[in-house]
Amino acid sequence: MIQLSNVVAKYPGGDGLELVNLSVEPGEFVYLVGSSGAGKSSVLKVIYMDIVPESGHVRVNSYNSLTMKKKHTPYLRRKIGIIFQDFKLLTDRTVFDNVAFTLHVTNTRNRDIKKKVLRVLAEVGLSHKRDKFPLQLSGGEQQRVAIARSLVNEPIVLLADEPTGNLDPDSSHDIMELLEKINSRGTAVLMATHDYRLVRGSRRKVIKIEKGRTK
Amino acid sequence: MSSGYLYSITEGFRGLRRAKFSAFVSISTIFFSLVLIGIFIIFIFNIQRLIQQIQSRVELEVFIDNSYTLEQIDELREKIFKINGVESVLYISKQEAAEIFKNQFGQDVFEILDDNPLPASFQINLMQQFRSADNAQQIFNHIIKLDGVDEVLYRHDLLVLLERYIRLFIIIIFTMGVLLGIGSIFLVSNTIKLIIFSRRTIIEIMKLVGATRRFIRRPFIIEGVVQGIIGGTFAALFFYLIFRLINLEIPGLILIDQKNYSILVVVGMLWGYIGSKLALRKFLKY
Repeated sequence: MIQLSNVVAKYPGGDGLELVNLSVEPGEFVYLVGSSGAGKSSVLKVIYMDIVPESGHVRVNSYNSLTMKKKHTPYLRRKIGIIFQDFKLLTDRTVFDNVAFTLHVTNTRNRDIKKKVLRVLAEVGLSHKRDKFPLQLSGGEQQRVAIARSLVNEPIVLLADEPTGNLDPDSSHDIMELLEKINSRGTAVLMATHDYRLVRGSRRKVIKIEKGRTK
Repeated sequence: MSSGYLYSITEGFRGLRRAKFSAFVSISTIFFSLVLIGIFIIFIFNIQRLIQQIQSRVELEVFIDNSYTLEQIDELREKIFKINGVESVLYISKQEAAEIFKNQFGQDVFEILDDNPLPASFQINLMQQFRSADNAQQIFNHIIKLDGVDEVLYRHDLLVLLERYIRLFIIIIFTMGVLLGIGSIFLVSNTIKLIIFSRRTIIEIMKLVGATRRFIRRPFIIEGVVQGIIGGTFAALFFYLIFRLINLEIPGLILIDQKNYSILVVVGMLWGYIGSKLALRKFLKY
């Protein structure tokens, strides 16, 4: 489903990717581990085509970095859910509007928007906080809103860039449980983290990255 | 209308409400640029009016052979009137010439001389588009060859001088107009750029969740257009009130076509549109 083959990519202000090979199959949960600056975020950016590889190729479902045009990028991103350490929520909109935003962007009909948003908010356990603004929520809750937003379009894969990086241990645990739950329902998850403790003892596939190279 | 379009329109208006200060800044920028350009245009019109007034004073004086009879004079007048570019031909008889002389110099020509030496003449006015040095010279060449014409006088030097200044004036006006136009679009675009910069988070999120380029641009363009219309309307209102005040003091001093007010609104709208498009180019490269 996701395939990176011999990817080399440069990123302004960073060392970039030297040689990356990895794959994520449908329904799989994959950890991408490495220290800060190893290139984890760049790998995710290459997948959602924020960085275009200099050589090698990236394939996400039917999209191939060698053949796709820039104007197709938005349609690729609709197949991918993305969450970040800093949540990237719109602080001047309610929880409901933050999630609905994704659906407005993809031209969903208004009557479907309400149904879908309420369903996904229930899934992440935030139905009762739909009228709150992000800054009225805890860090863990904000990350749940971000997860709800990334899920509402029913993506084939969820890319998580250090999703627990800003959270206390309890909230981190809750978020990990939520990601596991999402994965168990069939959505593939690729999670970038520098926290080896999360990976230790896990039976999931682990890909290590160091200085822009996967091991 | 699809929900996407409706959403863009709502977002455009919401943007104006959310960022009241930056909306105020860009509306004011458009307003001041339009007022500046408006004043500039009024200045051009007035200079143009002045030039036309000076040009209309340029006339050809044609002195007629003393031996010519009234009939012959009439024929000559017909010939001159048919020359392309001649607007009017006014006959001044010897008698009238003597009266003009008396008015101008305060002396009766018959007190100095026994006979009236002043010739009869035609005063020729040229059509607006023929009031240039070249055209006047051509008409001069034509008339001087006619039988019965003794002499033709006109202020060739004044026309040449005037034309030199008009040319200079056009160059200055054109340069200023272009600079003012580019300057104000740049100003509007930079203001909108700042607004967009302040909303880079929402643009980033839009990109991440799969918004198309067009979808991201739409609310900002709508916002720019609305700001342009508001700025243009204020500028139109400003000029309307100013002209009203002036006309109350000195009635009829400034005559303005009502459609000029709507032009201001349309130009404001265009600026908002172009400004936001230029500003968006920087942020939306995919």
